[in-house]
Amino acid sequence: MNGKNTSTGKKILNLIGNNAVPIMFIIIILICLPMSGFSSTFLLNEIMNRLSRNAFLILSLLIPIMAGMGLNFGMTLGAMAAEIALIFTSDWQIWGIPGIVLATIMSIPISALLGLMCGKILNAAKGREMITSYIISFFMNGVYQLVVLYMMGSIIPITHTNIKLPRGYGVRASVDLTRIRKSLDNVLAFNVAGVRIPVMTLLIIAAMCLVIVWFRRTKLGQDMRAVGQDMEVARAAGIDVEGTRIISIVISTVLAGIGMVIYLQNMGDMATYSSHSQIGMFCIAALLVGGASVDKASIGNVFLGVILFHTMFILAPKAGAVITGNEVIGEYFRVFVSYGVITVALVMYETKKRRAKASMGAQLEAEQKEEENR
Amino acid sequence: MNKRRLFFGGITILLLVAIAACMMVIGRGHTMYFDNKKLEYEGRTIDTIRRINVNVNGEQVAKLSAKDRGMATFTGQTLKFNLEVIRQKGGESEFYDYTVKIPYGQDGMVLNLPAMIEGLPEEAYATVFVPQVVEEEEDEEIVTDEFGMDMDDMGAEG
Repeated sequence: MNGKNTSTGKKILNLIGNNAVPIMFIIIILICLPMSGFSSTFLLNEIMNRLSRNAFLILSLLIPIMAGMGLNFGMTLGAMAAEIALIFTSDWQIWGIPGIVLATIMSIPISALLGLMCGKILNAAKGREMITSYIISFFMNGVYQLVVLYMMGSIIPITHTNIKLPRGYGVRASVDLTRIRKSLDNVLAFNVAGVRIPVMTLLIIAAMCLVIVWFRRTKLGQDMRAVGQDMEVARAAGIDVEGTRIISIVISTVLAGIGMVIYLQNMGDMATYSSHSQIGMFCIAALLVGGASVDKASIGNVFLGVILFHTMFILAPKAGAVITGNEVIGEYFRVFVSYGVITVALVMYETKKRRAKASMGAQLEAEQKEEENR
Repeated sequence: MNKRRLFFGGITILLLVAIAACMMVIGRGHTMYFDNKKLEYEGRTIDTIRRINVNVNGEQVAKLSAKDRGMATFTGQTLKFNLEVIRQKGGESEFYDYTVKIPYGQDGMVLNLPAMIEGLPEEAYATVFVPQVVEEEEDEEIVTDEFGMDMDDMGAEG
């Protein structure tokens, strides 16, 4: 009886330990919710809006995790590709859904090229993929600035003065996307009890989820999982480990580009030099909040993460204002939490890995001793 | 790379290029400006009209009194619109339907409606819209986020 209780207790502790981050967020939300004073309609509207805005971007992170490459901070490259495509479509005055489709198509080759480069670099830095992809995103940010700030308008034709800087070259700090704003979200959209449902965007996200489920079952998907589990075993089984890893990063970057187009059409405005810089960080934070780890993530983690992370984003400033009398503190709180959650998740991942190694070592030692005793 | 994969890859690229080309045509945005202004053409003077209502797709986009200018934005190369003309106070409405084509490279076009209603040729009533250039003395300050520490983005989102 006592033993049973102990094992149940251990199970509960394990469950809490494995889901510490989502549980922590649920507690924070439950505390902040009554303080914020938001109506349920407002809150649900905001969550639905943010879900449709961010889910596709976060889904793009799943494939590199499957291939054992961790959290792809290099998704920023896809975001940059999408921004470049949107600058062109805005300058060419392609409006509405055609503008979104054109920007998506244009972003694909740019994202694929950047993903290819990123994948090759990451293959040269096996075991340090996350920090390497993070630094690549900084490096590419410099290249992006060179292209957008100096080459556009001088070498690359940009005609409209509302996009070009007054000096005659370079793109303005903000590009107006009003002409494509919510074009996708408004297709087939309807209201349910005051909550706007962006049907088309949700359908695209659902289709992406199905593609990911299907992809896992394909030969390439199975190869990626094998590579993710053990590269040496996968290589011995005849899998092209390096090629598979590159493909996973290319797919992730291309999907991030498409996700960024969906994100920016929802926003209706593009901060040319900063929109992309934080996107990787916040998508990764949302995924981790959903209970994912560096080596394991599911579609469920994506949706739980978006809902929890963004609910916290909505509630924190208001709750901060109620608690401290200063809304800015709530802003700081949500910023600190998003970086903090990444740190906690990385530490937890390393601790778990070390513990697993230690327990395997202990088990091996015990088995050896047992054999010696015989 | 085997031939089958190369073939399907090529087809996909061609399909995407074709879709992109279609999008560039059907999604090209233009602005049409409608003037109810006096016009001199080959010695003739075309006077303003008391009231012109401009309807695009059954929706009223402009209600023009004499000397007014209205506008409508649209995508594609052709704009179909309907005019409701009232020449005198309390007078009966006259209705006119028009289809105007705008060249791909032009962002906007100005139509002089009285001249159009009078039946003058296109060169008389249609002119290319040239936006007024506003001199901006100081260059816009660009702040780039070199270290990824700028939280404004999410702040804007929140």
